[in-house]
Amino acid sequence: MIYLDYSATTPVSKEVLDSYVKVTKEYIGNPNSLHSLGTKSHELLESATKQISEVLNIDEKEIIYTSGSTEANNLAILGYALRNMKKGKNIVVSRLEHPSIYVICDHLKTLGFTITYVENNAEGLIDFDDLRSKIKDDTILVSIVAVNSELGIRQPLKTLRQIIKKQNENTVLHSDMTQAIGKVNVNLHDVDLASLSSHKIYGPKGIGMLYKSEKINIDPIIHGEKDSLRSGTPCLPLVVAFSKAIRLAITNEAKNESVVKMLNDKLTSTIIKYPKIMINKTNYSIPHVFNLSLMTIRPETFIHALEKRDIYVGTNTACSKGGTSATIMAIYDDEKRANTSIRISLSHLTSFDDLNKFLYSFDIVYNKLLELGDENE
Amino acid sequence: MNRLIIIKYGELTTKKGNIKFFIKTLKKNIERELSDLDFTIEYDNGRMFIFSEDLETIENRLKYIFGIHEIIKGYEYDSIDIEDIKENLRKLVENIEIDTFKVCTKRSYKGYPMTSMEISKVLGGVVLKNVPSSKVDVHEPKLVIDVEVRLNKSYIYFESTPGLHGYPVGVQGKGMLMLSGGIDSPVAGFLAMKRGVRIEGIYFESPPHTSEAAKEKVKNLTKILSNYSGYVKLHVINFTEIQEAIYKNIPHEYLITIMRRMMYRITERIAHKNNAKIIVNGESIGQVASQTLTSMAAINEVVKIPVVRPVACLDKLEIIEISKKIGTYETSILPYEDCCTIFVPDHPVINPELNKCQEYESLIDFENLIKEAIRSEEVLTITKTEKKFEDLL
Repeated sequence: MIYLDYSATTPVSKEVLDSYVKVTKEYIGNPNSLHSLGTKSHELLESATKQISEVLNIDEKEIIYTSGSTEANNLAILGYALRNMKKGKNIVVSRLEHPSIYVICDHLKTLGFTITYVENNAEGLIDFDDLRSKIKDDTILVSIVAVNSELGIRQPLKTLRQIIKKQNENTVLHSDMTQAIGKVNVNLHDVDLASLSSHKIYGPKGIGMLYKSEKINIDPIIHGEKDSLRSGTPCLPLVVAFSKAIRLAITNEAKNESVVKMLNDKLTSTIIKYPKIMINKTNYSIPHVFNLSLMTIRPETFIHALEKRDIYVGTNTACSKGGTSATIMAIYDDEKRANTSIRISLSHLTSFDDLNKFLYSFDIVYNKLLELGDENE
Repeated sequence: MNRLIIIKYGELTTKKGNIKFFIKTLKKNIERELSDLDFTIEYDNGRMFIFSEDLETIENRLKYIFGIHEIIKGYEYDSIDIEDIKENLRKLVENIEIDTFKVCTKRSYKGYPMTSMEISKVLGGVVLKNVPSSKVDVHEPKLVIDVEVRLNKSYIYFESTPGLHGYPVGVQGKGMLMLSGGIDSPVAGFLAMKRGVRIEGIYFESPPHTSEAAKEKVKNLTKILSNYSGYVKLHVINFTEIQEAIYKNIPHEYLITIMRRMMYRITERIAHKNNAKIIVNGESIGQVASQTLTSMAAINEVVKIPVVRPVACLDKLEIIEISKKIGTYETSILPYEDCCTIFVPDHPVINPELNKCQEYESLIDFENLIKEAIRSEEVLTITKTEKKFEDLL
């Protein structure tokens, strides 16, 4: 099997899984129980949280565990909007977000909020002037993805936040960092709220976290305990595994990135030779994602043809199951390009041998489908 | 150019007879704190120089070490030519805001063609020319730019941050700190460490009346204290039998007084066993019934060892302020029962009478219970780097 869809999800690394299994078997106490089994679990929970706080250079109190990024995005945006609606009811988002952000925004619209979209330039970077003009007195929150999931475009969050604060010092910045953590160096202090997920960094599915700066307040969206921003018995094995996954991801980030960069160079230099294929990449794309538009072939057909050869790549994002790519539209404004994209996402686990095999199959599948004239519409 | 950190000792340098020992202890403490890093130390009687690639990390850690007056960032250059020094200084100051300043030059290479005064004057001119907002003030400058010219190297240093002051931990020997888990005792421990006392903690647990979580809390407090001294030994004493015996046999208004007398006795013996010269605790005059002067006298009577009470004369709010500063407050206020909060009588005696204490104590064979408690001693060495659950995380 050749797996090249790491941006959709990653396999759990062995050492992380070992911790998960061990904690599941040995730490059976509820961290909130009074007895010593509970205390032991509580201690482990605190140590795991402390490790995350140290690795991410934040305070332990700024960590809220969630079921994943989607819940973290909900808690950040809904939680902040509901708590601060007296200050204003306008939210600004980019056109490069994960689909879940737009669905949350649609929900907020039904609650009387207005949503403003900030434009990006041809390189995919948020247009500073446009951002400046869109921040109004009643803008309470801006949400900008740290690394876009389709093209891997990385945003200069620190600068964006400076621009935002200059326009309205009460406006806070949320960033979905799901695709950024472990791939690029992120500083959580560049934002006020950030969503992270475990399963994109070789951790188990079912856990993520929201970073919430101590300086801001939000409302919970899941209720059950008094004064808790996220009620429910903490899932200790997931928290421990997540903590380990974050530590490994951050510690090995530079090393892993250099591997991925070489792989990406190889891909680029090969794919660029196909005259009809468009590579969707800007100067701000990170090397972990390689996006291309087949132009004359339907991506679904192509993906299934590769699948027959035990090779797995993605469409624009796993969560939107194909269709028109909003990101590509936002950058290239070309419908054909946006309708025919596939995403190859790389990992330090990818070997050059795998990549060569992929390119070999790619060539065969591509030429065959081209011949069949499986034209896109 | 090499970057370096210069440490000024402050109060150490006034202790002429001991200065070598003090500096060596400080050096040892610093080396222990930086043991995982690559660095070299040079020192003389006035300063210490630390060379490393990772000065930010080092600077952060030095902020937790007692005996340091000032931490100064500096730059070392290979040239001593005045034109080079001028250029080097220009590069350092051109992008910073300077208000009033003075240049202070030391010239250990006496064959240098200019005097210290002349060098200072020339370099002052460089700052004035390149930083428009700067003004010379030789009496009370906001910034002192130190320049040093040696035989084949020159140094410039000026960005200083205050250190923790005090004496290097260990120069005054050991003290046994009675740790309850409250706000006061960690602060007392911190203040004793500040004066060079190496602290070992003693904690009385009373399972099942006190929980594992309470003990964990004391371990965490000890860990925070170890930030300031590298490591702290913690002696855990099982106090259950003594406490139950007191509760069953002693008139309840005297519960706390007798309990404290027992704790003092045990602490003194543990102190002697571990070569500690004093007991340190967090008693503050008048704060609770057992801390009135009469109570203190009645309790202190059972030991010969000196008892130092660093927070005796501080208000509660002052103690809280320190505990927040040193990072123990958040842990201290966690709501777990400790030995001093269980079996609390409704009306503890405020002015206990010594003869009554002695009379009540004669009712039980406490000596055997004390011996047994001491036999129960569990010793933990707690370090700030101690990683729990390393196999899982």
